[in-house]
Amino acid sequence: MPKIHHLAAVSLATALACGLATSANAQLLQHKDLSSVIATTIALTAVDACKAQGYNVSVHVVGRNGEVLVGMRNPAAGVNTFENSWKKAYTSRTFRTPSGKFAENVGQNPVAGALFLANITAARGALPIMIGDETIGAVGVSGAPGGDKDEVCAQAGIDKVKDQLR
Amino acid sequence: MIKITIGTGALALACSFAISANAQLVTTKHLSLPIAATIATTAMETCKAQGYAVSVHIIGDMGEVLVALRGDNTGPHTMENSMRKALTSRGTRLPSGQFAENVAKTPNAGALRLGNMIPARGALPIKVGEEVIGAVGVSGAPGGEKDEACAKAGIDKVADQLK
Repeated sequence: MPKIHHLAAVSLATALACGLATSANAQLLQHKDLSSVIATTIALTAVDACKAQGYNVSVHVVGRNGEVLVGMRNPAAGVNTFENSWKKAYTSRTFRTPSGKFAENVGQNPVAGALFLANITAARGALPIMIGDETIGAVGVSGAPGGDKDEVCAQAGIDKVKDQLR
Repeated sequence: MIKITIGTGALALACSFAISANAQLVTTKHLSLPIAATIATTAMETCKAQGYAVSVHIIGDMGEVLVALRGDNTGPHTMENSMRKALTSRGTRLPSGQFAENVAKTPNAGALRLGNMIPARGALPIKVGEEVIGAVGVSGAPGGEKDEACAKAGIDKVADQLK
Protein backbone atom coordinates (compact mmCIF):
# COMPACT_ATOMS: atom_id res chain seq x y z
CA MET A 1 0.00 0.00 0.00
CA PRO A 2 2.72 2.54 0.84
CA LYS A 3 4.43 1.42 -2.37
CA ILE A 4 1.35 2.24 -4.39
CA HIS A 5 1.23 5.64 -2.71
CA HIS A 6 4.84 6.13 -3.62
CA LEU A 7 4.16 5.23 -7.24
CA ALA A 8 1.21 7.56 -7.33
CA ALA A 9 3.34 10.35 -5.94
CA VAL A 10 5.98 9.76 -8.56
CA SER A 11 3.36 9.73 -11.30
CA LEU A 12 1.87 12.93 -10.01
CA ALA A 13 5.27 14.59 -9.82
CA THR A 14 6.06 13.47 -13.36
CA ALA A 15 2.76 14.75 -14.63
CA LEU A 16 3.30 18.08 -12.91
CA ALA A 17 6.84 18.32 -14.23
CA CYS A 18 5.66 17.60 -17.76
CA GLY A 19 2.86 20.08 -17.38
CA LEU A 20 5.22 22.73 -16.18
CA ALA A 21 7.68 21.91 -18.93
CA THR A 22 4.92 22.42 -21.48
CA SER A 23 3.93 25.68 -19.86
CA ALA A 24 7.48 26.89 -19.82
CA ASN A 25 7.76 26.24 -23.54
CA ALA A 26 4.36 27.72 -24.37
CA GLN A 27 4.37 31.14 -25.97
CA LEU A 28 1.72 33.64 -26.76
CA LEU A 29 0.46 33.61 -30.30
CA GLN A 30 1.61 36.47 -32.41
CA HIS A 31 0.21 37.36 -35.78
CA LYS A 32 -0.39 40.23 -38.13
CA ASP A 33 -3.86 41.55 -38.81
CA LEU A 34 -5.40 43.93 -41.29
CA SER A 35 -5.60 47.52 -40.07
CA SER A 36 -8.80 49.47 -40.58
CA VAL A 37 -6.98 51.78 -43.00
CA ILE A 38 -5.77 48.91 -45.18
CA ALA A 39 -9.17 47.23 -45.03
CA THR A 40 -10.90 50.46 -46.03
CA THR A 41 -8.47 50.95 -48.92
CA ILE A 42 -9.20 47.44 -50.19
CA ALA A 43 -12.95 48.02 -49.97
CA LEU A 44 -13.01 51.44 -51.61
CA THR A 45 -10.65 50.30 -54.37
CA ALA A 46 -12.91 47.33 -55.13
CA VAL A 47 -15.96 49.63 -55.28
CA ASP A 48 -14.15 52.06 -57.59
CA ALA A 49 -12.74 49.30 -59.81
CA CYS A 50 -16.23 47.96 -60.45
CA LYS A 51 -17.68 51.46 -60.82
CA ALA A 52 -15.12 52.20 -63.53
CA GLN A 53 -16.52 49.24 -65.46
CA GLY A 54 -20.07 50.39 -64.94
CA TYR A 55 -20.94 48.02 -62.09
CA ASN A 56 -22.31 49.16 -58.74
CA VAL A 57 -21.21 46.80 -56.00
CA SER A 58 -21.28 46.39 -52.24
CA VAL A 59 -18.16 45.16 -50.49
CA HIS A 60 -17.14 43.52 -47.21
CA VAL A 61 -13.69 42.99 -45.77
CA VAL A 62 -13.49 40.46 -42.96
CA GLY A 63 -10.59 39.82 -40.63
CA ARG A 64 -8.78 36.76 -39.34
CA ASN A 65 -11.72 35.55 -37.28
CA GLY A 66 -14.28 36.30 -39.93
CA GLU A 67 -15.26 39.50 -38.13
CA VAL A 68 -16.43 42.43 -40.25
CA LEU A 69 -13.70 45.03 -40.58
CA VAL A 70 -15.46 47.08 -43.22
CA GLY A 71 -18.93 46.75 -44.70
CA MET A 72 -20.02 49.07 -47.50
CA ARG A 73 -23.53 49.12 -48.89
CA ASN A 74 -23.83 50.68 -52.30
CA PRO A 75 -27.31 52.23 -52.51
CA ALA A 76 -27.00 52.01 -56.29
CA ALA A 77 -26.56 48.23 -56.13
CA GLY A 78 -29.11 45.52 -55.46
CA VAL A 79 -30.57 45.14 -51.99
CA ASN A 80 -29.07 41.67 -51.56
CA THR A 81 -25.53 42.74 -52.39
CA PHE A 82 -24.62 43.87 -48.88
CA GLU A 83 -25.45 40.48 -47.37
CA ASN A 84 -24.02 38.58 -50.29
CA SER A 85 -20.67 40.35 -50.24
CA TRP A 86 -20.35 39.57 -46.55
CA LYS A 87 -21.22 35.89 -46.98
CA LYS A 88 -18.80 35.54 -49.87
CA ALA A 89 -16.01 37.14 -47.82
CA TYR A 90 -16.81 34.95 -44.81
CA THR A 91 -16.79 31.87 -47.01
CA SER A 92 -13.45 32.80 -48.54
CA ARG A 93 -11.87 33.42 -45.14
CA THR A 94 -13.30 30.22 -43.70
CA PHE A 95 -11.96 27.95 -46.43
CA ARG A 96 -8.89 30.06 -47.15
CA THR A 97 -9.75 29.93 -50.81
CA PRO A 98 -11.56 32.08 -53.38
CA SER A 99 -15.29 31.66 -52.81
CA GLY A 100 -15.56 30.73 -56.49
CA LYS A 101 -13.15 27.83 -55.91
CA PHE A 102 -15.29 26.71 -52.98
CA ALA A 103 -18.35 26.92 -55.24
CA GLU A 104 -16.59 24.73 -57.81
CA ASN A 105 -15.60 22.23 -55.15
CA VAL A 106 -19.09 21.81 -53.77
CA GLY A 107 -20.71 22.06 -57.19
CA GLN A 108 -20.33 18.31 -57.57
CA ASN A 109 -21.81 17.67 -54.16
CA PRO A 110 -24.99 19.57 -53.41
CA VAL A 111 -25.21 18.00 -49.95
CA ALA A 112 -21.69 18.95 -48.91
CA GLY A 113 -21.72 19.56 -45.18
CA ALA A 114 -19.97 22.90 -45.58
CA LEU A 115 -23.01 24.26 -47.42
CA PHE A 116 -25.06 23.76 -44.28
CA LEU A 117 -22.84 25.92 -42.11
CA ALA A 118 -24.24 29.34 -41.28
CA ASN A 119 -23.36 32.17 -43.63
CA ILE A 120 -21.49 30.02 -46.12
CA THR A 121 -22.33 30.69 -49.75
CA ALA A 122 -21.26 28.96 -52.94
CA ALA A 123 -20.82 32.10 -54.99
CA ARG A 124 -17.81 33.57 -56.75
CA GLY A 125 -16.64 37.10 -55.94
CA ALA A 126 -14.46 36.90 -52.84
CA LEU A 127 -10.74 36.34 -52.41
CA PRO A 128 -8.66 35.54 -49.34
CA ILE A 129 -6.26 38.25 -48.20
CA MET A 130 -2.91 36.62 -47.60
CA ILE A 131 0.49 37.31 -46.13
CA GLY A 132 2.56 34.73 -47.96
CA ASP A 133 0.65 31.49 -47.42
CA GLU A 134 -1.25 32.72 -44.41
CA THR A 135 -4.84 33.89 -44.76
CA ILE A 136 -5.50 36.94 -42.59
CA GLY A 137 -8.89 37.92 -43.97
CA ALA A 138 -10.95 38.15 -47.14
CA VAL A 139 -12.66 40.65 -49.39
CA GLY A 140 -16.08 39.92 -50.88
CA VAL A 141 -17.80 41.79 -53.71
CA SER A 142 -21.39 41.55 -54.96
CA GLY A 143 -23.35 43.44 -57.58
CA ALA A 144 -21.53 42.99 -60.88
CA PRO A 145 -23.26 40.85 -63.51
CA GLY A 146 -21.27 37.70 -62.78
CA GLY A 147 -19.11 36.46 -59.96
CA ASP A 148 -16.05 36.57 -62.23
CA LYS A 149 -16.52 40.34 -62.55
CA ASP A 150 -17.00 40.72 -58.79
CA GLU A 151 -13.79 38.78 -58.27
CA VAL A 152 -11.79 41.05 -60.58
CA CYS A 153 -12.74 44.03 -58.40
CA ALA A 154 -11.84 42.10 -55.24
CA GLN A 155 -8.44 41.39 -56.79
CA ALA A 156 -8.00 45.09 -57.63
CA GLY A 157 -8.60 45.91 -53.97
CA ILE A 158 -5.96 43.45 -52.78
CA ASP A 159 -3.48 44.54 -55.46
CA LYS A 160 -3.75 48.11 -54.25
CA VAL A 161 -2.30 47.22 -50.84
CA LYS A 162 -0.05 44.32 -51.80
CA ASP A 163 3.09 46.18 -50.72
CA GLN A 164 1.63 46.46 -47.22
CA LEU A 165 0.66 42.79 -46.95
CA ARG A 166 3.85 41.54 -45.41
CA MET B 1 -81.40 51.07 -53.08
CA ILE B 2 -79.35 49.82 -56.00
CA LYS B 3 -79.32 53.32 -57.42
CA ILE B 4 -77.97 54.73 -54.17
CA THR B 5 -75.27 52.07 -54.02
CA ILE B 6 -74.18 52.71 -57.58
CA GLY B 7 -74.24 56.42 -56.93
CA THR B 8 -72.08 56.02 -53.85
CA GLY B 9 -69.68 53.77 -55.73
CA ALA B 10 -69.36 56.27 -58.54
CA LEU B 11 -68.70 59.04 -56.05
CA ALA B 12 -66.03 56.97 -54.30
CA LEU B 13 -64.34 56.18 -57.61
CA ALA B 14 -64.47 59.79 -58.68
CA CYS B 15 -62.85 60.84 -55.42
CA SER B 16 -60.12 58.21 -55.62
CA PHE B 17 -59.35 59.19 -59.20
CA ALA B 18 -59.12 62.79 -58.16
CA ILE B 19 -56.61 61.81 -55.45
CA SER B 20 -54.66 59.62 -57.87
CA ALA B 21 -54.45 62.39 -60.42
CA ASN B 22 -52.94 64.71 -57.84
CA ALA B 23 -50.60 62.06 -56.36
CA GLN B 24 -46.95 62.29 -57.20
CA LEU B 25 -44.00 60.02 -56.66
CA VAL B 26 -41.93 60.78 -53.58
CA THR B 27 -38.57 62.30 -54.34
CA THR B 28 -35.96 62.27 -51.60
CA LYS B 29 -32.20 62.65 -51.35
CA HIS B 30 -30.06 59.86 -49.97
CA LEU B 31 -26.48 59.40 -48.90
CA SER B 32 -24.20 57.96 -51.57
CA LEU B 33 -21.56 55.40 -50.66
CA PRO B 34 -18.62 57.80 -51.30
CA ILE B 35 -20.13 60.45 -49.01
CA ALA B 36 -20.98 57.87 -46.34
CA ALA B 37 -17.47 56.40 -46.54
CA THR B 38 -15.91 59.86 -46.19
CA ILE B 39 -17.97 60.60 -43.08
CA ALA B 40 -16.97 57.27 -41.54
CA THR B 41 -13.25 57.45 -42.26
CA THR B 42 -13.08 61.11 -41.19
CA ALA B 43 -14.77 60.31 -37.87
CA MET B 44 -12.41 57.41 -37.25
CA GLU B 45 -9.29 59.38 -38.18
CA THR B 46 -10.36 62.35 -36.05
CA CYS B 47 -10.67 60.18 -32.97
CA LYS B 48 -7.45 58.35 -33.84
CA ALA B 49 -5.60 61.70 -34.00
CA GLN B 50 -6.76 62.33 -30.44
CA GLY B 51 -5.58 58.92 -29.32
CA TYR B 52 -9.00 57.26 -29.27
CA ALA B 53 -9.66 53.98 -31.08
CA VAL B 54 -13.24 53.93 -32.33
CA SER B 55 -15.57 52.02 -34.61
CA VAL B 56 -18.07 53.87 -36.78
CA HIS B 57 -21.40 53.15 -38.44
CA ILE B 58 -23.22 55.18 -41.06
CA ILE B 59 -26.95 54.49 -41.22
CA GLY B 60 -29.11 55.48 -44.16
CA ASP B 61 -32.61 56.82 -44.47
CA MET B 62 -34.35 53.50 -43.78
CA GLY B 63 -32.04 52.50 -40.95
CA GLU B 64 -29.94 50.37 -43.27
CA VAL B 65 -26.19 50.11 -42.68
CA LEU B 66 -24.31 52.04 -45.36
CA VAL B 67 -20.84 51.76 -43.86
CA ALA B 68 -19.57 49.69 -40.95
CA LEU B 69 -16.00 50.40 -39.97
CA ARG B 70 -14.13 48.56 -37.22
CA GLY B 71 -11.25 50.59 -35.83
CA ASP B 72 -7.89 49.15 -34.89
CA ASN B 73 -7.52 48.15 -31.24
CA THR B 74 -11.17 48.77 -30.45
CA GLY B 75 -13.25 46.79 -27.99
CA PRO B 76 -15.46 44.14 -29.52
CA HIS B 77 -18.65 45.94 -28.46
CA THR B 78 -17.84 49.11 -30.38
CA MET B 79 -19.25 47.78 -33.64
CA GLU B 80 -22.65 47.01 -32.12
CA ASN B 81 -22.64 50.17 -30.05
CA SER B 82 -21.82 52.52 -32.92
CA MET B 83 -24.55 50.85 -35.01
CA ARG B 84 -27.15 51.18 -32.26
CA LYS B 85 -26.23 54.78 -31.51
CA ALA B 86 -26.57 55.65 -35.19
CA LEU B 87 -29.87 53.83 -35.53
CA THR B 88 -31.17 55.60 -32.42
CA SER B 89 -30.13 58.94 -33.85
CA ARG B 90 -31.78 58.23 -37.19
CA GLY B 91 -34.94 56.92 -35.56
CA THR B 92 -35.40 59.87 -33.23
CA ARG B 93 -33.90 62.42 -35.65
CA LEU B 94 -31.86 63.61 -32.68
CA PRO B 95 -28.33 63.30 -31.40
CA SER B 96 -28.35 60.01 -29.49
CA GLY B 97 -27.09 61.97 -26.47
CA GLN B 98 -30.18 64.14 -26.61
CA PHE B 99 -32.34 61.02 -26.70
CA ALA B 100 -30.42 59.71 -23.68
CA GLU B 101 -31.13 62.92 -21.79
CA ASN B 102 -34.80 62.80 -22.73
CA VAL B 103 -35.39 59.23 -21.59
CA ALA B 104 -33.35 59.65 -18.40
CA LYS B 105 -36.48 61.22 -16.94
CA THR B 106 -38.73 58.43 -18.25
CA PRO B 107 -37.00 55.07 -17.80
CA ASN B 108 -40.17 53.33 -18.96
CA ALA B 109 -40.19 55.18 -22.27
CA GLY B 110 -41.49 52.90 -24.99
CA ALA B 111 -38.69 53.96 -27.30
CA LEU B 112 -36.20 52.16 -25.04
CA ARG B 113 -37.97 48.88 -25.77
CA LEU B 114 -37.60 49.15 -29.52
CA GLY B 115 -34.98 46.97 -31.17
CA ASN B 116 -31.45 48.37 -31.11
CA MET B 117 -32.36 51.68 -29.49
CA ILE B 118 -29.72 52.77 -27.00
CA PRO B 119 -29.55 55.84 -24.74
CA ALA B 120 -25.89 56.61 -25.31
CA ARG B 121 -24.20 59.71 -26.65
CA GLY B 122 -21.97 59.54 -29.72
CA ALA B 123 -24.23 59.67 -32.78
CA LEU B 124 -25.56 62.60 -34.79
CA PRO B 125 -28.24 62.79 -37.45
CA ILE B 126 -27.07 63.58 -40.97
CA LYS B 127 -29.27 66.29 -42.42
CA VAL B 128 -30.07 68.06 -45.66
CA GLY B 129 -31.46 71.30 -44.32
CA GLU B 130 -33.98 70.19 -41.71
CA GLU B 131 -34.49 66.76 -43.23
CA VAL B 132 -32.74 63.79 -41.62
CA ILE B 133 -31.36 61.39 -44.25
CA GLY B 134 -29.20 59.20 -42.02
CA ALA B 135 -26.93 59.19 -39.01
CA VAL B 136 -23.35 58.58 -37.98
CA GLY B 137 -22.52 56.70 -34.78
CA VAL B 138 -19.15 56.47 -33.06
CA SER B 139 -18.08 54.25 -30.17
CA GLY B 140 -14.77 53.68 -28.42
CA ALA B 141 -13.62 57.06 -27.09
CA PRO B 142 -13.61 57.51 -23.32
CA GLY B 143 -16.88 59.43 -23.17
CA GLY B 144 -19.85 59.89 -25.44
CA GLU B 145 -19.05 63.58 -25.89
CA LYS B 146 -15.70 62.62 -27.42
CA ASP B 147 -17.39 60.10 -29.72
CA GLU B 148 -19.84 62.79 -30.73
CA ALA B 149 -17.09 65.28 -31.56
CA CYS B 150 -15.65 62.78 -34.03
CA ALA B 151 -19.08 62.14 -35.53
CA LYS B 152 -19.43 65.90 -35.98
CA ALA B 153 -16.05 66.07 -37.73
CA GLY B 154 -17.25 63.43 -40.18
CA ILE B 155 -20.40 65.38 -41.04
CA ASP B 156 -18.51 68.68 -41.28
CA LYS B 157 -16.18 67.12 -43.82
CA VAL B 158 -19.02 66.63 -46.31
CA ALA B 159 -21.12 69.65 -45.31
CA ASP B 160 -20.84 71.12 -48.81
CA GLN B 161 -22.27 67.96 -50.35
CA LEU B 162 -25.27 67.70 -48.03
CA LYS B 163 -27.64 69.75 -50.09
